[in-house]
Amino acid sequence: MITQLLPAIAQGVGLTLYVTGASLLFGGVIGLVLVGATRSPIGIVRGIATLYINVVRVIPPITWLFLIYFGLPQYALRLSTIQAAIIGFSIIASAFMAEIYRSGLLSIPEGQREAAHALGLSTLTTVRHIITPQAFRVALPAIATYGIGLLKDSALASTIGVREITYYAQQSAEQTHEGLLSFIVAGALYIVISLVIAVVSRRVDLTLRKKIGVA
Amino acid sequence: MGLSFGTKAPPTALSGEVVVSGLGKSYGTSRVLSDVDLVMNEGEVVSVIGPSGAGKSTFLRCLNYLETPTEGTIAIGGARVVAGGKRPDKSSIDHLRRVTGMVFQSFNLFPHLTVMENITLPQRNVLGASKEQAQEVAERLLKRVGLPDKAKAYPARLSGGQQQRIAIARALALSPKVMLFDEPTSALDPEIGLEVLAVMRDLADEGMTMLVVTHEMHFARDVSDRIMVMGNGGVLEIGPSQQVMSEPQNERTRQFLKAVLDR
Repeated sequence: MITQLLPAIAQGVGLTLYVTGASLLFGGVIGLVLVGATRSPIGIVRGIATLYINVVRVIPPITWLFLIYFGLPQYALRLSTIQAAIIGFSIIASAFMAEIYRSGLLSIPEGQREAAHALGLSTLTTVRHIITPQAFRVALPAIATYGIGLLKDSALASTIGVREITYYAQQSAEQTHEGLLSFIVAGALYIVISLVIAVVSRRVDLTLRKKIGVA
Repeated sequence: MGLSFGTKAPPTALSGEVVVSGLGKSYGTSRVLSDVDLVMNEGEVVSVIGPSGAGKSTFLRCLNYLETPTEGTIAIGGARVVAGGKRPDKSSIDHLRRVTGMVFQSFNLFPHLTVMENITLPQRNVLGASKEQAQEVAERLLKRVGLPDKAKAYPARLSGGQQQRIAIARALALSPKVMLFDEPTSALDPEIGLEVLAVMRDLADEGMTMLVVTHEMHFARDVSDRIMVMGNGGVLEIGPSQQVMSEPQNERTRQFLKAVLDR
């Protein structure tokens, strides 16, 4: 039985990874902009960014997905299920990633910025070569943890019809009446993917830690 | 109405590698630095001593605008900034930072970059040096601070004294006209501090203009040409090193020196 279920459900791995990866990528980039905005000298920019980060995080992911997929067509914005899922999760990820970056930035000692200033480094060079690499190192474990969280949340995309792991598990369960086994297989697939993410990030973290020591 | 010639020459009339006049800084109503004047000639070494809270570090950090002074003027090696009022334009501050090199108490090397990268990155960004040029300068300076074999090491692998010597090399790589040292040995074991002091001594002998905030009284007396004693945000006295150490004029200076030297 499992030899039939596994390949059937594993068809969803691709879209699970696609939705999770794309959302983490877009969310990561938008999060950078957001964290920049929260440090803007302009009050209104700071205010909007802070509001966005806080509002986005308290709305449940499934509400976001329904809002985008079922709500927006009312204003003639009809998206594919995959587009809707990626947009929804990107919005959510951007707010969380901004918070993760913020904690990374806070961990950098003031002396690093002072040294950069005293040397006369340009702002761009300071951000790109001094601040970001160090903040990234500190933020990496939190980013990996969030990535695993997002992977699990991506199962919600099945509710709007994205053919990812949970979608196929549900389909298999209905067709074969092997509900328990179907969802165990789905769970096992999530475990395997999570483990890969965890192991890779731990490896990278240890390598960086060994190289530059604990900041 | 007769013309009265001022008793005090205007700051612009003074010449020197460093001309600081009337420098002050207040946060709201509290004054942390007031009316500090200092003129240094090229190649001169001045040590700044005094009790903690005297404003020594604040003074030093105002000189490259890590702290923003609220009054006075700073002229160093061709760069000139007038404090107070509107924030001075970024280009004069950049100029000020360009002609000064700073060494911090906590080294502040970039931990994610190798020693070589720590020294080459600023040269490439600030001076527009090529990779080869920058590496050549770095290798020469690493030799000069006695660490030619550490180019590939990361700062975490080095002792505090080694890190501080690298920090000195990093600052020197930009060919500053004046080096500012902010308690460069305070975070180090007394023994390790000696290797840093030795590098600074060489630098002084080679004619670098240096302003050194320090608690190292031997260094202040033996290496610097003059000692400036600060207390309570102002200058208590300034004079030739031997003289300040042996015959301090100010009562507060006497107290401070007694406390430091008797321990």
